[in-house]
Amino acid sequence: MVELPSPEDPEAALAAVVALRRLASQLERSAVDQALRQGWTWAHIGQALGISAQAAHKKLAQKVAQERDDT
Amino acid sequence: MKLPRAIQDMRTIKMLLTAAETQAQRAGDGLPGPEHLLLAALDLPDGTARRAFERAGTDPAEFQAAIDEAHRQAMRDIGVLAAGPSRPLPEAAPAGGLYRLTAPGQEVFQAAVRLAKAGRRSPLRGAHVVAAAGDQERGTVARALKVLGVDRGALTAAAGEVLTGH
Repeated sequence: MVELPSPEDPEAALAAVVALRRLASQLERSAVDQALRQGWTWAHIGQALGISAQAAHKKLAQKVAQERDDT
Repeated sequence: MKLPRAIQDMRTIKMLLTAAETQAQRAGDGLPGPEHLLLAALDLPDGTARRAFERAGTDPAEFQAAIDEAHRQAMRDIGVLAAGPSRPLPEAAPAGGLYRLTAPGQEVFQAAVRLAKAGRRSPLRGAHVVAAAGDQERGTVARALKVLGVDRGALTAAAGEVLTGH
Protein backbone atom coordinates (compact mmCIF):
# COMPACT_ATOMS: atom_id res chain seq x y z
CA MET A 1 0.00 0.00 0.00
CA VAL A 2 1.56 3.27 -1.13
CA GLU A 3 0.83 6.28 1.02
CA LEU A 4 1.00 9.56 -0.78
CA PRO A 5 3.09 12.01 1.22
CA SER A 6 1.37 14.95 2.81
CA PRO A 7 1.34 18.02 0.57
CA GLU A 8 2.73 19.79 3.63
CA ASP A 9 6.00 17.99 2.93
CA PRO A 10 6.72 18.94 -0.70
CA GLU A 11 10.39 18.02 -0.32
CA ALA A 12 9.53 14.35 0.28
CA ALA A 13 6.80 14.37 -2.37
CA LEU A 14 8.99 15.88 -5.08
CA ALA A 15 11.93 13.62 -4.24
CA ALA A 16 9.60 10.64 -4.57
CA VAL A 17 8.39 11.88 -7.97
CA VAL A 18 11.99 11.98 -9.23
CA ALA A 19 12.80 8.54 -7.82
CA LEU A 20 9.62 6.96 -9.21
CA ARG A 21 10.24 8.48 -12.64
CA ARG A 22 13.72 6.96 -12.64
CA LEU A 23 12.38 3.58 -11.48
CA ALA A 24 9.71 3.64 -14.21
CA SER A 25 12.33 4.36 -16.85
CA GLN A 26 14.54 1.50 -15.63
CA LEU A 27 11.57 -0.87 -15.56
CA GLU A 28 10.56 0.22 -19.08
CA ARG A 29 13.99 -0.54 -20.48
CA SER A 30 14.18 -3.97 -18.86
CA ALA A 31 10.63 -4.90 -19.83
CA VAL A 32 11.01 -3.85 -23.47
CA ASP A 33 14.22 -5.82 -23.71
CA GLN A 34 12.44 -8.89 -22.35
CA ALA A 35 9.43 -8.37 -24.64
CA LEU A 36 11.69 -8.28 -27.71
CA ARG A 37 13.42 -11.46 -26.56
CA GLN A 38 9.98 -13.07 -26.38
CA GLY A 39 9.22 -12.02 -29.96
CA TRP A 40 7.02 -8.97 -29.38
CA THR A 41 6.83 -6.48 -32.24
CA TRP A 42 7.35 -2.76 -31.75
CA ALA A 43 3.65 -2.32 -32.58
CA HIS A 44 2.72 -4.52 -29.60
CA ILE A 45 5.22 -2.78 -27.34
CA GLY A 46 3.77 0.58 -28.38
CA GLN A 47 0.25 -0.63 -27.66
CA ALA A 48 1.27 -1.93 -24.23
CA LEU A 49 2.99 1.34 -23.37
CA GLY A 50 0.20 3.47 -24.77
CA ILE A 51 2.41 5.10 -27.39
CA SER A 52 2.92 4.59 -31.12
CA ALA A 53 5.20 1.84 -32.42
CA GLN A 54 7.40 4.56 -33.93
CA ALA A 55 7.66 6.40 -30.63
CA ALA A 56 8.52 3.18 -28.77
CA HIS A 57 11.15 2.28 -31.37
CA LYS A 58 12.68 5.74 -31.38
CA LYS A 59 12.86 5.86 -27.61
CA LEU A 60 14.12 2.37 -26.88
CA ALA A 61 15.38 0.51 -29.95
CA GLN A 62 18.93 1.84 -29.93
CA LYS A 63 19.43 0.98 -26.28
CA VAL A 64 18.20 -2.57 -26.75
CA ALA A 65 20.15 -3.10 -29.98
CA GLN A 66 23.31 -2.01 -28.22
CA GLU A 67 22.81 -4.68 -25.60
CA ARG A 68 22.14 -7.37 -28.20
CA ASP A 69 25.42 -6.49 -29.94
CA ASP A 70 27.26 -6.99 -26.67
CA THR A 71 25.82 -10.45 -25.94
CA MET B 1 52.87 22.46 -25.23
CA LYS B 2 50.41 24.53 -23.26
CA LEU B 3 47.09 24.88 -25.06
CA PRO B 4 45.25 28.19 -25.08
CA ARG B 5 42.62 28.35 -22.37
CA ALA B 6 39.67 28.45 -24.77
CA ILE B 7 40.77 25.17 -26.37
CA GLN B 8 41.38 23.58 -22.97
CA ASP B 9 37.88 24.66 -21.94
CA MET B 10 36.32 23.23 -25.09
CA ARG B 11 38.00 19.89 -24.49
CA THR B 12 36.91 19.83 -20.85
CA ILE B 13 33.33 20.80 -21.76
CA LYS B 14 33.16 18.04 -24.37
CA MET B 15 34.50 15.46 -21.91
CA LEU B 16 32.21 16.66 -19.15
CA LEU B 17 29.00 16.75 -21.18
CA THR B 18 29.65 13.46 -22.99
CA ALA B 19 30.34 11.70 -19.68
CA ALA B 20 27.28 13.30 -18.05
CA GLU B 21 25.10 12.07 -20.91
CA THR B 22 26.51 8.56 -20.54
CA GLN B 23 25.87 8.65 -16.76
CA ALA B 24 22.25 9.72 -17.31
CA GLN B 25 21.59 7.03 -19.91
CA ARG B 26 23.18 4.37 -17.72
CA ALA B 27 20.88 5.29 -14.84
CA GLY B 28 17.78 5.30 -17.01
CA ASP B 29 17.34 9.05 -16.56
CA GLY B 30 16.26 11.16 -19.52
CA LEU B 31 18.60 14.09 -19.78
CA PRO B 32 21.71 14.71 -17.70
CA GLY B 33 21.13 16.80 -14.59
CA PRO B 34 23.38 18.17 -11.83
CA GLU B 35 24.09 14.73 -10.34
CA HIS B 36 25.28 13.40 -13.70
CA LEU B 37 27.45 16.47 -14.26
CA LEU B 38 28.95 15.98 -10.83
CA LEU B 39 29.67 12.29 -11.49
CA ALA B 40 31.27 13.32 -14.80
CA ALA B 41 33.32 16.01 -13.04
CA LEU B 42 34.65 13.41 -10.59
CA ASP B 43 36.05 11.52 -13.60
CA LEU B 44 37.78 14.51 -15.19
CA PRO B 45 41.55 14.05 -15.43
CA ASP B 46 42.30 17.32 -13.58
CA GLY B 47 41.30 15.54 -10.34
CA THR B 48 40.10 18.75 -8.64
CA ALA B 49 36.52 17.51 -8.13
CA ARG B 50 37.78 14.40 -6.37
CA ARG B 51 40.14 16.50 -4.24
CA ALA B 52 37.26 18.80 -3.24
CA PHE B 53 35.22 15.80 -2.04
CA GLU B 54 38.19 14.43 -0.10
CA ARG B 55 38.85 17.84 1.42
CA ALA B 56 35.22 17.97 2.57
CA GLY B 57 35.84 14.65 4.31
CA THR B 58 34.11 12.22 1.96
CA ASP B 59 35.10 9.56 -0.54
CA PRO B 60 34.17 10.61 -4.09
CA ALA B 61 33.76 6.94 -5.03
CA GLU B 62 30.75 6.82 -2.68
CA PHE B 63 28.79 9.52 -4.52
CA GLN B 64 27.04 7.18 -6.99
CA ALA B 65 25.90 4.91 -4.15
CA ALA B 66 24.67 8.00 -2.27
CA ILE B 67 22.53 9.03 -5.27
CA ASP B 68 20.98 5.56 -5.42
CA GLU B 69 20.34 5.61 -1.67
CA ALA B 70 18.75 9.07 -1.87
CA HIS B 71 16.30 7.74 -4.48
CA ARG B 72 15.59 4.60 -2.41
CA GLN B 73 14.96 6.77 0.67
CA ALA B 74 12.57 9.00 -1.26
CA MET B 75 10.56 5.95 -2.31
CA ARG B 76 10.66 4.42 1.19
CA ASP B 77 9.13 7.69 2.46
CA ILE B 78 6.00 6.92 0.43
CA GLY B 79 6.02 3.22 1.28
CA VAL B 80 7.62 1.93 -1.93
CA LEU B 81 10.35 -0.62 -1.35
CA ALA B 82 12.25 -1.14 -4.58
CA ALA B 83 15.48 -3.04 -4.94
CA GLY B 84 17.68 -2.36 -7.94
CA PRO B 85 16.92 -4.09 -11.26
CA SER B 86 17.05 -7.90 -10.93
CA ARG B 87 19.60 -7.98 -13.75
CA PRO B 88 21.71 -5.22 -15.27
CA LEU B 89 19.79 -2.73 -17.40
CA PRO B 90 20.24 -3.00 -21.16
CA GLU B 91 23.35 -1.07 -22.06
CA ALA B 92 22.73 2.58 -22.77
CA ALA B 93 23.17 3.91 -26.28
CA PRO B 94 26.46 5.72 -26.83
CA ALA B 95 26.30 9.39 -25.94
CA GLY B 96 24.99 11.24 -28.97
CA GLY B 97 26.90 14.45 -28.39
CA LEU B 98 23.78 16.63 -28.50
CA TYR B 99 24.74 18.12 -25.15
CA ARG B 100 21.23 18.70 -23.87
CA LEU B 101 20.78 19.06 -20.13
CA THR B 102 17.86 19.36 -17.72
CA ALA B 103 17.11 22.93 -16.63
CA PRO B 104 18.92 22.48 -13.27
CA GLY B 105 21.75 20.82 -15.20
CA GLN B 106 22.02 23.89 -17.41
CA GLU B 107 22.08 26.13 -14.34
CA VAL B 108 24.95 24.14 -12.84
CA PHE B 109 26.89 24.02 -16.10
CA GLN B 110 26.51 27.77 -16.71
CA ALA B 111 27.43 28.57 -13.11
CA ALA B 112 30.56 26.39 -13.39
CA VAL B 113 31.62 28.20 -16.57
CA ARG B 114 30.99 31.58 -14.89
CA LEU B 115 33.11 30.53 -11.90
CA ALA B 116 35.92 29.44 -14.21
CA LYS B 117 35.81 32.76 -16.08
CA ALA B 118 35.86 34.66 -12.80
CA GLY B 119 39.06 32.82 -11.94
CA ARG B 120 40.71 34.60 -14.90
CA ARG B 121 43.72 32.40 -15.58
CA SER B 122 42.05 29.16 -14.48
CA PRO B 123 40.49 26.96 -17.19
CA LEU B 124 37.25 25.11 -16.42
CA ARG B 125 37.97 22.33 -13.95
CA GLY B 126 36.03 19.68 -12.08
CA ALA B 127 35.99 21.68 -8.84
CA HIS B 128 34.07 24.47 -10.61
CA VAL B 129 31.30 21.94 -11.25
CA VAL B 130 31.46 20.80 -7.62
CA ALA B 131 31.10 24.40 -6.41
CA ALA B 132 28.22 25.06 -8.80
CA ALA B 133 26.34 21.83 -8.00
CA GLY B 134 26.95 22.26 -4.26
CA ASP B 135 25.25 25.60 -4.50
CA GLN B 136 21.87 24.05 -5.40
CA GLU B 137 19.74 23.91 -2.31
CA ARG B 138 17.27 21.27 -3.52
CA GLY B 139 17.39 18.23 -5.73
CA THR B 140 19.21 14.93 -6.04
CA VAL B 141 22.70 16.33 -5.42
CA ALA B 142 21.62 18.02 -2.18
CA ARG B 143 19.91 14.83 -1.00
CA ALA B 144 22.85 12.59 -1.99
CA LEU B 145 25.24 14.88 -0.10
CA LYS B 146 22.95 14.57 2.92
CA VAL B 147 23.21 10.78 2.64
CA LEU B 148 27.00 11.15 2.66
CA GLY B 149 26.79 13.47 5.67
CA VAL B 150 28.51 16.25 3.74
CA ASP B 151 27.56 19.85 4.33
CA ARG B 152 26.93 21.61 0.99
CA GLY B 153 28.58 24.81 2.17
CA ALA B 154 31.66 22.90 3.31
CA LEU B 155 31.88 21.13 -0.06
CA THR B 156 31.58 24.41 -1.97
CA ALA B 157 34.23 25.96 0.26
CA ALA B 158 36.50 22.92 -0.24
CA ALA B 159 36.10 23.27 -4.02
CA GLY B 160 37.13 26.93 -3.76
CA GLU B 161 40.19 26.00 -1.69
CA VAL B 162 41.24 23.34 -4.20
CA LEU B 163 40.91 25.84 -7.06
CA THR B 164 42.86 28.59 -5.34
CA GLY B 165 45.42 26.22 -3.83
CA HIS B 166 44.79 27.42 -0.28
